[in-house]
Amino acid sequence: MTETGTAVAERAPHTGARLLAETVTALSQRAPAIVAAAADQMRGIRLALHFHDGSRATMTVRHSRLVVEPDLVGAPEVEVVFDDRAMNLVFDAQRPPVEQVLAQSLDVRGDRERVLAVWRAFTLLSQRASGLRFIQQLWRDYREQAPRLWGVIAGDGAAPLSPHGDVPTGWHAVDFLAARQPLEADEDGGARALIGGTVRTAPRSLWDGRRSSGWWETQRVGDADLVETMRVCRSRANRQMEDLMPDREPKAALYDLMRSYPARQGKGLRPTLVFAACAAFGEKPENAVRAAAALELFHNGFLVHDDIADESTHRRGLPTMNAEFGNGLAVNVGDGLNLLAVDAVLANLETLGLARTLGLIQEVMHMCRESIEGQAMELGWIHDRTVPPRDEDYFTMSTKKTGWYTCISPCRMGAVCAGVTDPAVLNRFDEVFRLIGIAFQIQDDILNLVGDEALYGKETLGDLLEGKRTVMLIHLFRTAKAAERKRLARVLNRPRSRKSQADAELLLAAMREHGSIDYAIDLADRLAAEGIDRFENDLGIIPENEGKAVLRQIAHYVTTRPL
Amino acid sequence: MLGVPGPFPETELHHPLDRRWLHYAFLSPDSGHALISNLSVLGAEQPDDGASTRWEPQRMAILLVFDPVHGWSSSQFNAVQPDSPWSAFRVPHRHRVAGAFPVAAVAGAPAVDLRLFRTSRPCTSQCAPFGYDQFLRWQSEPGVRGSGTLRTAHGDVTCDLVGYHERVRGRWSWPVLGGWVFGFANAPSADAVGPPPWSVVFTLIQPRYPAESANGSVMLWREGRMVRHFPRRRLEVAVQGELDRDRVVLVPPLAAALATAPAPLVPGRLLITARMGADWLVLDFRPTTAARIANPSETSLRPFSVHELLGRCTAEGVVSGRRVEFETGGIVEFAGGAHD
Repeated sequence: MTETGTAVAERAPHTGARLLAETVTALSQRAPAIVAAAADQMRGIRLALHFHDGSRATMTVRHSRLVVEPDLVGAPEVEVVFDDRAMNLVFDAQRPPVEQVLAQSLDVRGDRERVLAVWRAFTLLSQRASGLRFIQQLWRDYREQAPRLWGVIAGDGAAPLSPHGDVPTGWHAVDFLAARQPLEADEDGGARALIGGTVRTAPRSLWDGRRSSGWWETQRVGDADLVETMRVCRSRANRQMEDLMPDREPKAALYDLMRSYPARQGKGLRPTLVFAACAAFGEKPENAVRAAAALELFHNGFLVHDDIADESTHRRGLPTMNAEFGNGLAVNVGDGLNLLAVDAVLANLETLGLARTLGLIQEVMHMCRESIEGQAMELGWIHDRTVPPRDEDYFTMSTKKTGWYTCISPCRMGAVCAGVTDPAVLNRFDEVFRLIGIAFQIQDDILNLVGDEALYGKETLGDLLEGKRTVMLIHLFRTAKAAERKRLARVLNRPRSRKSQADAELLLAAMREHGSIDYAIDLADRLAAEGIDRFENDLGIIPENEGKAVLRQIAHYVTTRPL
Repeated sequence: MLGVPGPFPETELHHPLDRRWLHYAFLSPDSGHALISNLSVLGAEQPDDGASTRWEPQRMAILLVFDPVHGWSSSQFNAVQPDSPWSAFRVPHRHRVAGAFPVAAVAGAPAVDLRLFRTSRPCTSQCAPFGYDQFLRWQSEPGVRGSGTLRTAHGDVTCDLVGYHERVRGRWSWPVLGGWVFGFANAPSADAVGPPPWSVVFTLIQPRYPAESANGSVMLWREGRMVRHFPRRRLEVAVQGELDRDRVVLVPPLAAALATAPAPLVPGRLLITARMGADWLVLDFRPTTAARIANPSETSLRPFSVHELLGRCTAEGVVSGRRVEFETGGIVEFAGGAHD
């Protein structure tokens, strides 16, 4: 979603245009695979929408993102006019169209092929999003706040009374299920499911007196609410990390500090990948909890050491460990976190047994080796005052430094927790999440340059102050003329302590001038698209289930991330 | 002198796929404990070496105990069972006269040592042909009561139980049988020895072929006597949602060690409607936990999974002008998944 879309949502009251903007915003954040699929259909089409309440909006596609702008912008290829009856049809999917779409209730104009493309996009949006609980809640709120948007339901849709009394359910088992209060996942006092449970599936019949359908013929679960899933997974991994923390001295100088970084709320990407990959292979997600905690501990240990190496001052909106307590204590805290991570991996012996634990140890060894090699590459470039000439050099460094432990290893470790140790199966995650991981890292680097610090959590332009070799920097040095390159190198190679904010802004201005940021955005989009293709091909061996649905949403997260 | 003892004679199991299952499922209304046991016999098979003597029929037993604090514990398929286990179907049993039912894992836990007695009357819930030459006859009796000791690795507990017993005989294999949905519920009662005020049992078997061989039934008991049988055309079965994987435990322990192939998620809710004339019944079951018993299949590579679900069941309806309405604990089975 874009700033303009958010602006629509903030300014306008409960209007049709705002409902559209909020729906697309929510889907972009929580179920990006749906937005990407719809955007794929609508590519190159400018759509104008008129709602019954007089509000209007324009929808276009930028890369794989749906962009909703307030009012009419530019000349649309397709124009749609909804009246209240059409909104009722969209809201109440169980009502047959003939009851709601009357003459002139839905006016669509445009070239036939483009109209059909828009129709496909909206079909995709409505079919895949309608089961998501947060979308149901959003539309329910609007229906309560702005009933005039929907008007009066036409026609007498009353079903025959059931033997229950005055409950109009009909007399079919599926109707009873649909009419009765749905069972919430945590209604019985238990915790919400780690993976799954964010999409409300329609009731289905196993036996209607004549036709039989096996209970095991499960409905395809294609989507998931990523935000809710990541929240639950992050919280479960945090709880496990807290359980692993020793309750002993020295607290003030070690164990309390070891809690500091994990307590700074990250996105929860890694634990979610671990839990989802485990579920995707049919195992209980809870079996992956120690592996998820181990990864988070390793990650936080790396961050502490990384901040020392980079001389960073802020991490997730707070002072870094080294900035607050000095390098000595920070190095020790990082070591402590890594040691605890090893402990968490070994704790799997009790629950997963020897074979899977050995598999996990192998994965962890590989991940750590890749990470330190990547770190060595980057620090080596900075030490040698060189900027690599090719994007591929960055790809290699980025995959080693962050790709493995952010994306690839979490998936592989989740699969190992589910009992998968066959390299031919585990390796199928590698290329998919290598591409996704690079795209994600490039986007992170872009956000460091142009993002809001409050949202991004790290100091803006911190990468330029640290001299990080990003794709933008590599592009800048590749395209700048020799004299300019020499001048920029002098600024870049100053030690961080002697580099000013003005130096960083000078480098940023040069990047803008040479189109380096736009180049990086396009490159990330291309890599993400290739990663998505590989996801569907390479991971075709995984059955469609709630775990794979979450993995798919994460893969698509990079395609719809606001930049 | 008096003919064959009991309504279901002890005939020999002739075919390698001939089977006899004795199934026991009980809940403790007070403590929340549950036990499930299946004692099975698979028919004798002629050895390939031309020997005239057949192998002995294969006897297997599994015992599951659910503890509300520690969850499920299970034996392997070699639980120790009596030579002649308690069963209402073997010889005529008098009501309220208890018989012993000891079953134990070879390792010692879980184990149960119970005294069981009948309060109700049995009924045939399925008599179903399917495939080309396979069939089963399924006989059910709810309202069985018991008391005694349940042992797990976490200790012993003594409790009163109420539940269900069945005997299934026939010749079947997987994946031909496909799967089934079955369950029961006994209405709560203050009377610890009498029959439950209401009991309900439902079955739905879903063979792979022929297409029209699926069959179902819903039966209602009042005070130990069956008062209504809703036949296959008069009932509907629907499901919604999934029980998340973390609530499903794979048993027996060996199945987990062997990395048994995953099974589809079991539904998170089951709703059954039955109607015949002015009589109607709605059963709404919401599971909270399940044990997936992975049975090796003799005829296919994938295991046949029987999911034993524990949860809450509400029943409401009108039968013979009398209002039926109760909420209680119930046990439901979702079985299937041996096909590729």
